[in-house]
Amino acid sequence: MSNSAAGDLARMCHGIAVRLPRMPEMEEVRANLARAAGQVPALKSLRVWAEPVAFPAGDARSARRRATELRRAPAPEGPGLRAVFLEYADGPAELVIVAHRAVLTRDGLRGLAGVLTGSGGPAGEPPTPAGPPAPAQDAGARTPAWGLGDPARAGRHSAVALGPVRASGEELVRAASLVLSRYTGGEDDAVGVLRDDDAEAERACVGVVLSERRAGEEYEPCAAPYFPLTLWAERQEDGTLRGECRFDEDAVAPEIASRFARQVARAAERLAAGLPGAVEPDAEEIAELLAVGAGAPLAGHAPTTIHAAFEKVAAARPGAVAYTGEDATLDYAELDRRAERRARALRGLGAGPGELVGVCLERGADLVVTLLAVLKSGAAYLPMDVRHPRERLRATVEDAGARIVVAEDFPPAEGRTLVRPADLDAAPEAGHADGPQASPDDPAYVIFTSGSTGRPKGVVIPHRNVPALLAAVADDMRLGPEDVWTWFHSAAFDFSVWEIWGCLLTGGRLVMTPYWVSRAPHEFHRLLAEQRVTVLSQTPSAFAQLIHADAGTSADLAVRLVILGGEPLDVRILKEWFADHPPARCRVVNMFGITETTVHVTAQTVTAREMVERSRSVGGALPGWTVSVRDPEGRPVPFGAAGEIYVGGAGVALGYLNRPELTAERFVDDPYGGGRLYRSGDRGRLRPDGRLDHLGRLDNQVQLRGFRIELDEVRAALVEDPAVRAAAVVLNEEGDPRLDAYVVPAGPGPAVPAEIRGRLGRILPDYMIPGTITVLDDLPLTVNGKVDTARLPAPSAGAALVEEEPAPARGEGPAAAMLEIWRRAFGAPVSLDDDFFELGGNSLLAIRISAAMREAGLPQITLRDFYLNPTIRGLEAAMTTR
Amino acid sequence: MRLSGKTALITGAARGLGRACALRFAEEGADLALFDLGGDIDEVPYPLGGADQLEHTAELCRKLGAAVVTATGDIRSQESVARAVEAATDRFGRIDVLVNNAGIVAPSGKDLHEVDEREWAVMLDVNLTGAWRMTKAVVPGMLPRRSGSIINVASTAGLVGYRRFAGYVASKHGLIGLTRAAALDYAPLKIRVNAICPGSVRDDPLVDGRMLVEIARALDVPVQEHEGTFAQGQPANELVEPDDIAAAALWLAGDDSRRVTGAVITVDGGYTVR
Repeated sequence: MSNSAAGDLARMCHGIAVRLPRMPEMEEVRANLARAAGQVPALKSLRVWAEPVAFPAGDARSARRRATELRRAPAPEGPGLRAVFLEYADGPAELVIVAHRAVLTRDGLRGLAGVLTGSGGPAGEPPTPAGPPAPAQDAGARTPAWGLGDPARAGRHSAVALGPVRASGEELVRAASLVLSRYTGGEDDAVGVLRDDDAEAERACVGVVLSERRAGEEYEPCAAPYFPLTLWAERQEDGTLRGECRFDEDAVAPEIASRFARQVARAAERLAAGLPGAVEPDAEEIAELLAVGAGAPLAGHAPTTIHAAFEKVAAARPGAVAYTGEDATLDYAELDRRAERRARALRGLGAGPGELVGVCLERGADLVVTLLAVLKSGAAYLPMDVRHPRERLRATVEDAGARIVVAEDFPPAEGRTLVRPADLDAAPEAGHADGPQASPDDPAYVIFTSGSTGRPKGVVIPHRNVPALLAAVADDMRLGPEDVWTWFHSAAFDFSVWEIWGCLLTGGRLVMTPYWVSRAPHEFHRLLAEQRVTVLSQTPSAFAQLIHADAGTSADLAVRLVILGGEPLDVRILKEWFADHPPARCRVVNMFGITETTVHVTAQTVTAREMVERSRSVGGALPGWTVSVRDPEGRPVPFGAAGEIYVGGAGVALGYLNRPELTAERFVDDPYGGGRLYRSGDRGRLRPDGRLDHLGRLDNQVQLRGFRIELDEVRAALVEDPAVRAAAVVLNEEGDPRLDAYVVPAGPGPAVPAEIRGRLGRILPDYMIPGTITVLDDLPLTVNGKVDTARLPAPSAGAALVEEEPAPARGEGPAAAMLEIWRRAFGAPVSLDDDFFELGGNSLLAIRISAAMREAGLPQITLRDFYLNPTIRGLEAAMTTR
Repeated sequence: MRLSGKTALITGAARGLGRACALRFAEEGADLALFDLGGDIDEVPYPLGGADQLEHTAELCRKLGAAVVTATGDIRSQESVARAVEAATDRFGRIDVLVNNAGIVAPSGKDLHEVDEREWAVMLDVNLTGAWRMTKAVVPGMLPRRSGSIINVASTAGLVGYRRFAGYVASKHGLIGLTRAAALDYAPLKIRVNAICPGSVRDDPLVDGRMLVEIARALDVPVQEHEGTFAQGQPANELVEPDDIAAAALWLAGDDSRRVTGAVITVDGGYTVR
């Protein structure tokens, strides 16, 4: 029993008010009741009340009193029945009877009124109330996902007007079903129907309550909304339906309810008139959906090229430091000069507008100079990660048709010019000074994204998109010359486009993060502190690790802005961060973005509030960008409904390189006038305030034994678990298909799979519970810092139930291998009983040793193991007893 | 209207602070179950809330738009209390707010060794045990809904001592203890329990107030000048009005105070902070 059970009672009750010319004598009423109780014992416990009302019957205050009485449920303990006479100041009276539907039908209510007023007719047959109703059943999961209700408003309900609707009750029901299917993507169109004499109706999120209007009585079909969203309609004398859309505020937001009601009314009228397209959104609805999803216009921004924008900044602040790295420090003038020189050399090799220049360099001054040089040459750059397999690099260049590749080391290829940065710098300066310039509409870069299936595809982004992105956010984020940015991400990941050009087009200082530092959270933290970094861009997975490192140090950070992007954010990971870095001092912005729409699309500032609400909002579209959520036919779905996220506006790519069919499939012209749109393949829902909820990838929806499962939903449930810090879930289709889950423990305590599974069972239906749960120290990340599902290990045997199997011993005993690893780590010979910490060990060294042990095929040890067993002998014992 | 849709049961509603609360609640849209003794108690040396006064309160509330049910009975009787609660529940289906206002101020005016067993017992039975009985009867209906507000009208005598009022002071200190303990019992269930400590309240004829005059009588203060005498003892040189107490009760009854429980709110013009 809970709030909902109490609410259920009111839900199940209906009532009538019968007008009487004057107040009857209560003696007489009680005599009538006693007579009837002789025939129907259930009436014996009915008490009849009389209530003087201090106002005339026609007064608004009397109407309020009547409405209150009609919606007042009987006491939970009792006959499930209430009767009260209201005596108005000007003479007339009214009898109000409210009963549980299982106790009296509407006819029964009428009959009882006849009995009490002595006007029961010649038959005088008293109605037969059934016994007191059984306690209400558990309401179960009735909250519609699209309702956007506010859980804090549980137990409250509200109403908006419905009608007049020119349609029949049946048409209204069919219309409700059609509209509902728009909200559920066709998954659910079951609409409950409750008529006056029904004791109950099928449970459903949405239902229609149909009432008949009868002369001489006012009827209230439910004292509280029967369904979370209830369309109550009463047929009027003129044949129309009129009523209210009533809803539970914890299940449905008023903005959703009012639109739902309007859509049903319109669809019903179309059905009634025999018009087609009852389910199609009308022009007004579409206009609203598109307007709400669009960001503000990009005012006062003229299209430009990336390098022109850079040159403007460089000319204004030539002496300011543009780049800091282990390798070099460059001011804006120097960076510009070096890039200009290389650009000329590139032109000499044939680079220019329409050309693509491959760039495959370790991150550093050479790379940033080269990227700028390519743009200045008029060509577009094709960034490649030096850590990608050589075969993939070769395939990328061939696929892209890049004739020039700037690299220190690159697989040789037929017909390609391979050139080292030093060669470019050494090229004679003569000639080639001027070539044709790139226009803002020309390609600036091509980034290959692997996507989840199929071969990688090159996304072609024109120059103008990048300055537009900066124009969209620079004011709001107050980006400027005081800022220090990290360059954390691979140039082959478009998050680096944001980092490099975001910094250099706003006059900031770019701090190069060496690859190994980007993989070592403690080192990275030190870099942030030392370099006084102010703007930090991270994937949530990488940031979670950084937060962990941050919690363990006292080093003071200057970070004022954290941009999270690249994967869905579990706001819960921010709890520790906010504890030390309150949002007032360091703003955290969650940005949804896609390579195909130029890094970012939306922005949501995350505060403690979003964290507490477990918000999945990624915010509204950036100025100049638009988002809409659509069904598989490309029609915008209503607010609250889930669908595919479409992105339009200033960030949309030119298309996929040399892939016209794929381009035509993913980049579409909006039939509703929104211009060129990119179909993201992401699931989302648009809120009436323009904020977008990100619900994962469409292709993260898997079918398992006939159930449709959102892997992201399972993952979200795992991350909710107090013992879990991070999680990944994959569908394993080898043999008997099942879900495999991987979790990283939240704290020093153990994460016991069986316990986690037990807790999951309280949140998720059985078919969504992973078949295995494997505990990992960390989730493997891709080069781009996202969870790399391909590199997840095979689930540990019976991981859900058995702790961990000891790894098979290899060659000589682990102690001998560990002695060697420790010797290398400490740079000195060690013995079996030397204490790790007395030797000068720290957590970083422990991680390195643990990694070396992993490489050597030894059982995995954690930092905790080091603290508990700081000697080799102790660790060996711990490993073997595990 | 801050209490629309809510039902309040008020004890000691025939007059005084009970009536003041009832009228204020009615103005804010509440429906009311009003409970009072409708008779006298032998040991109490002044007439208590009569049935006609209770009906008068009801009538005033109805004029303000409230639906009202009345019940008379002795709060010292478990059976009377159950009957009143049952009537309220049958009429309104639920009780959202309980105001434990019924109380007596005399027999007083003696040092405690002069108080006899019966005088002592009646003071505690009405002022402290009465509130416990009401709460015990009302809470079970609140539990399933996970909501409810219980307001105990205590006194500054629940915070400080007054000479020659040992029984009254003990009973009101006890009521504050009851408030704090009950607040903890029911906090997880979202039923709030708070106390109001009125200072010296003027005997407003609109609510048939007679508390101050009875205190004066017990202390042998001349009843013609008693208001002036009491006002002089106040930091602000004025007495508290019944409306001031009703306003505090209204706030505790409504959702504005939804996070307030176990609070002891003095409405005494600063009397107890000197």
